Amino acid sequence: VIWKNQQLIPDDAAQVVDTSDESAARFDELIHAPTRLSLVALLAAAEWAEFKYLRDALELSDSALSKQLSTLEAVGYIHVRKGFVGKRPRTWARLSPAGRVAFAGHVAALQQILRRAGGSGIATGRDAAADDHDAPDLADQHGHS
Amino acid sequence: MSQYPSADEAAAALSAVERRQRHVVDQAQLPALFWWATAVLMVVFAAAVDAYRNQPIAIGVSVVLFVAAILGATGWAVRRTMLAQVSSRLLGVRGVLAILVFVGVDVGISLAVAFAMQSRGLTHPATTGVGIGAVLLAVGGPRLMGYLRGQMLAQTRTMP
Repeated sequence: VIWKNQQLIPDDAAQVVDTSDESAARFDELIHAPTRLSLVALLAAAEWAEFKYLRDALELSDSALSKQLSTLEAVGYIHVRKGFVGKRPRTWARLSPAGRVAFAGHVAALQQILRRAGGSGIATGRDAAADDHDAPDLADQHGHS
Repeated sequence: MSQYPSADEAAAALSAVERRQRHVVDQAQLPALFWWATAVLMVVFAAAVDAYRNQPIAIGVSVVLFVAAILGATGWAVRRTMLAQVSSRLLGVRGVLAILVFVGVDVGISLAVAFAMQSRGLTHPATTGVGIGAVLLAVGGPRLMGYLRGQMLAQTRTMP
């Protein structure tokens, strides 16, 4: 589904969104789920992050974080690597280029919602940055949360 | 079916994004104690160099102890940053330049003072030169961290 000018239009119309423009506002329901949004935001600011860091920062259980990582990995938004430090197993995650584009588009979509509603004082820095972008569409890329 | 977020929900989501990204940037900050510890180690090492100038073995031992202590302090300081590496994209050109200028000024002033004192035959040139550099490091290090933090947070707003 796709939201355009605050109206729902049919699924096939989602194809009109220009995905080649990294700055395009694109609402992503997969990312928008609160836990995944926090997870992706953490990874967006990092080259990579260790499982333990993500678990503690998000206050999740091991299994809950594993589930979220698997969901994001399945759609190609993150890369997960397993290895050892000494004899201890470690897991690292990083945002893929596709995930970075999706996150940027989602943030732009959220900013667009704020602007259409008359702005907000919470994310003025992001709003200012997004003003440079031409981001007309809000697209639901995955259709699940 | 998609639920179109309200403005309040969008604002809350953006606030959560900023909070999480700030968390990553903050965990990469070196504690102020690291800068002071490094400064003290530098001065102690320089004092050893001045005191044992004609004793190569003593100088060698001092070098080993200094390197071991610096490595230990650095390992302690960066232990948190090993859990997540902040994106190099956030540092930006200004951040890199700030680091280079800070190191250049610190080392430059230390060497200039030390060589100037040595050429005039004054005592303890190494200790004095490094002492001045150490004070600059201890005072300027946390300020550099603060500047880099601001730069990185600004970058997260313009480049999600």
